[in-house]
Amino acid sequence: MATQSNNLSKKIFDAVFFREIWDAMKVTFKHMFHRPMTFEYPREKRTIPDAHRGALGLLRYDDGKERCVGCDLCEAACPSRCIKVISEEDKSLPLQRYATEFYIDITKCVFCGYCVEACPVNALAMTKLYEFSTHDKRTLLFDKERLYDIGERYLDDAKKYLYAHNQEKEGEESIAYRYHFPVPVEKSQDS
Amino acid sequence: MGLKPVTSPDTEATTIELTLDGEVVTAKEGVSLYDVISSTGKIVPAMCYHYTFDPFGSCGMCLVMQEGKKAPVRSCTAKATAGMVIRTEGDDLFAARKKGVEKHLSVHPLDCPVCDADGHCELQDMAFEHGVTDLANAKQKNIPEDTRSLVLDFNMNRCIACGECINICKDVQRIDALQFMKKGGFTQVVAKGDQALDCEFCGDCLAVCPVGAITNKFSKYAYKPWQLKKTTTTCNYCGDGCQMYVETKDTEVTRVTSPLSWKNKWGDRGDTVNGHGGLCVRGRFGFQFIDSKTRLKSPLVRTEAGFTETPWIDALDIAAGRLAYIKKTYGEQAIAGLITARCTNEDLYVFQKFMRTVIGTNHIDSSARYGHVNFVRAAQHALGATRMTNTSEEITRAQAILLVGSNITETNPVASLRVKAALGVYKAHVIVVDSAQTNIAALASHPTMVKPGTEGLFVQGLVKSAIQQDLIDEDVVKQSPEAYAALQQAVNSLTLDQIAEQTGTSVSHINEVTKIFAEAPRSIILCGEGIVRQTKGYHHVLNLIDLLWVTGKIGRPGCGINTLTEEANEQGALDMGVGPEFLPGGLAYDNPEARETFSNAWLTELPPAGQGDALLDIIKRCRSGEIKALYVVGENPLGTLPASCDVEAALKNLEVLICQDPFMTETSALAHVVFPATTFAEKDGTITNQEGKVQFLRPVFDPLGESAIDWHIMAGIANGLGASLDFETTHDIQREIMKIMPGYYNLGQPPKVEVNPEGYLRNGFATEVGSRYEQSSHATQAPRPFALKMIQLLYHSGKLSTQASGLLAISPNTKKLHMHPQDIEQLGLSPHDHVCVTSDAMSVELGIKPDLAIMPGSCGFPEHFNDPPVKDLMSVQVDPHTHVPYFKLAHVTIEKT
Repeated sequence: MATQSNNLSKKIFDAVFFREIWDAMKVTFKHMFHRPMTFEYPREKRTIPDAHRGALGLLRYDDGKERCVGCDLCEAACPSRCIKVISEEDKSLPLQRYATEFYIDITKCVFCGYCVEACPVNALAMTKLYEFSTHDKRTLLFDKERLYDIGERYLDDAKKYLYAHNQEKEGEESIAYRYHFPVPVEKSQDS
Repeated sequence: MGLKPVTSPDTEATTIELTLDGEVVTAKEGVSLYDVISSTGKIVPAMCYHYTFDPFGSCGMCLVMQEGKKAPVRSCTAKATAGMVIRTEGDDLFAARKKGVEKHLSVHPLDCPVCDADGHCELQDMAFEHGVTDLANAKQKNIPEDTRSLVLDFNMNRCIACGECINICKDVQRIDALQFMKKGGFTQVVAKGDQALDCEFCGDCLAVCPVGAITNKFSKYAYKPWQLKKTTTTCNYCGDGCQMYVETKDTEVTRVTSPLSWKNKWGDRGDTVNGHGGLCVRGRFGFQFIDSKTRLKSPLVRTEAGFTETPWIDALDIAAGRLAYIKKTYGEQAIAGLITARCTNEDLYVFQKFMRTVIGTNHIDSSARYGHVNFVRAAQHALGATRMTNTSEEITRAQAILLVGSNITETNPVASLRVKAALGVYKAHVIVVDSAQTNIAALASHPTMVKPGTEGLFVQGLVKSAIQQDLIDEDVVKQSPEAYAALQQAVNSLTLDQIAEQTGTSVSHINEVTKIFAEAPRSIILCGEGIVRQTKGYHHVLNLIDLLWVTGKIGRPGCGINTLTEEANEQGALDMGVGPEFLPGGLAYDNPEARETFSNAWLTELPPAGQGDALLDIIKRCRSGEIKALYVVGENPLGTLPASCDVEAALKNLEVLICQDPFMTETSALAHVVFPATTFAEKDGTITNQEGKVQFLRPVFDPLGESAIDWHIMAGIANGLGASLDFETTHDIQREIMKIMPGYYNLGQPPKVEVNPEGYLRNGFATEVGSRYEQSSHATQAPRPFALKMIQLLYHSGKLSTQASGLLAISPNTKKLHMHPQDIEQLGLSPHDHVCVTSDAMSVELGIKPDLAIMPGSCGFPEHFNDPPVKDLMSVQVDPHTHVPYFKLAHVTIEKT
């Protein structure tokens, strides 16, 4: 019987002092004293690590020349088959290969980064850009212009991505990534 | 095979035994050890080896261990000898081969990303296979790229000096346009004399290059092998019927490759008698017409405002309605049809069935009428065969080849390799009779230049000489003495002196070549357009058969008479019965039994026998107004026939002209309804090559735009006329053809041709032979001094190739008359002058081009170009027997303007 009266008094005590509410509020009050873990997303943004795999961009060399030689290895490496490259000989610079068209269907992309790894001239890189939601799905087929635009706007991110993934090095060593095309016989005879 | 090619097909090499990896294998003596190893199915890597030529031994990859030797030996250059003990696998060999790859890679640029061979590169495969990842002493050659040639680019940085390109050019093509040259400290492949490459551009060097050192200018940098869809189909340019791979990206043709490639390097050299798998310049680089911008994409109907694009259903309705009206008002005989021999067998079959059963007319003809009919009719008449009597294997193994009137290296380049192999590998005598200094004549043992138009006379001379020199086969005289007496009687009026004088040869030469031809155990005649498409072409072919007969070659193995066709399916057109005198299967249209069979098969009466006009008569009747409607499938009579035929007036006189063509031609520009047809590349069907091989076409992509396959259009018109052809797929047509002509689909294996001249020799030979050897008016001096020939260029085929930008880049319309430099000098001209060329018909102004291949006293103009209209200088003669129009030769005067 003793336990019964004990239980009764505990019940009365709990009821008088709103014990259950205190228990519930304890978690809430605990959170009042440590730093917030979430972000107010559109107003605040999180810092993203350099190795982050975001939207793809195409890069240029420092002298403004397109890095991409249209080798199509990214297309071959892509597991979701979202890349399409159409290449051609550059008529203004004979013997130079370049991509006339370059498409990435970002709706299909699984952000694996294989294309970046496959690229022999480090023309492709991933950026920290992840905000490309849209009302029109058709705009998610990134064409060459858009990819170069991304590459230009997020050049720092792209470079950091390449360094983080050990693909490009600073300084002299990066020159080795550039492909040097041979000159035609006529031109070499002229000079 | 291997080191010592069998120089005589009559002798067999002795068999030896050797041990390979512990197993005893047998081999022929004298062949390369590499061939013996590969014949057992073992694959030893080799980069400089290809079965089509002798081993070269430069790559150092085919190393094997031979017992008794300390170091590995190169198996390709080692001869297999009896009792050899060979080991082909092992760690030491792997390491030695890896060293070989490293040696090549150390001077090879690692520019795979931009290289066209990336993914189709033997060096890449070898490096991967042997795990070459680290190169200690790599260096760059930095050789500038040679882009001077119109077709091929040479990037000698990538060259591994395997010599395959040089060897195939020298041993297989026998052109020898490439060489090694030491420049800048490196051995490089350059065109002869380090000039810009200017050869026949067959592209075999490109096909066998195991790396990306030789690249194709027309598709350079435009692809990677893994992006392309590869479709095996048959080339549509000439009658050789080469197999080729059309490689496409969506609806764009990127390149054409051949079965010949470094990838299939293992084989028996003896197998090349059936072709080496390569292509010629037209097949390999003339693909741009397939996805050309100028293709017709939707049906056009003529209205007052010109052509208007019309939906298919309306256009078919209009065409069918007008045909029905003509049929009702003027009768079936007022409708005629022409079809090109570039269509598939199925198209041709449906065409003649449509015209004969649905329309009910026998006025049908194909472009085989331009000459191939002569050969087929003559062979059918004399030998009972409807096509050439030998296989390419027999041509290669012949001992004497009489090549008459064919510039074979230009018109049928791949067939010419069989003659070149006979010449080079099997040491045959090749007698070339032509009125130009052709490339094959330069290689031939007995080149014979005759005056233009006298090829037929020269053949008569050969028959006369055979009889005069008593080179007659005794059995022939015994079996048919009357026929022989008649022939003797017929040639009596000829004298060799006269023939020699008129043809511009000598009596001793005629006698010599006759002797060679008659005495060789395997003699083959190859006659081309220079004799078949000339005045009396039908008789010339019969005369050639006479020559075969009197020398006892008819029916003997390895002997026979053969022809070459210009368009891909001329043989098929005649086999399918497209021609007023033929029913499918080469049967005569007048044959009552055959007519009954076909009317039973088609459940309808055939148009009455004895009716039916050939090409020129159709045109004539169009002009006179008897024919009111013409249905033209891919043909272009206005662009082909000279102005003297007045085709334009004939076509304008028509009430209905329906054309279907992939392109807008001169003829279709006058049409009332134009249907967009597809090219061969979008078709599913078969074509029959000159040899009788029935080969498949496979669609590389769906018809472009709204264009449709030819027989679909015919079936559509038939539906509009209220009749059904009951064909849903190409397979249905093939099934019907199989029922009518059992065994026609021979899957690329030509059935043996049975020749039987008995009936011909017994009946009628004596009466007709006399007229064949009558002296024609060759003796009379032509009123105009120069003989103008319409010549064929290597880089073109008919008019189709002028739609291919690649071929036009190699060989544009220069608007120049080809003349011998000697004539140019005599007329006091300089190469920049313009001349006025006048024939009896009209005159034309042209530039001039010195051409050593042209015989002095004659001149030539490519028949592929109509601008300026040189073809209009020609007059037309029609063969009374076969209705073949001849318009390739005219006599002209040349004056400076």
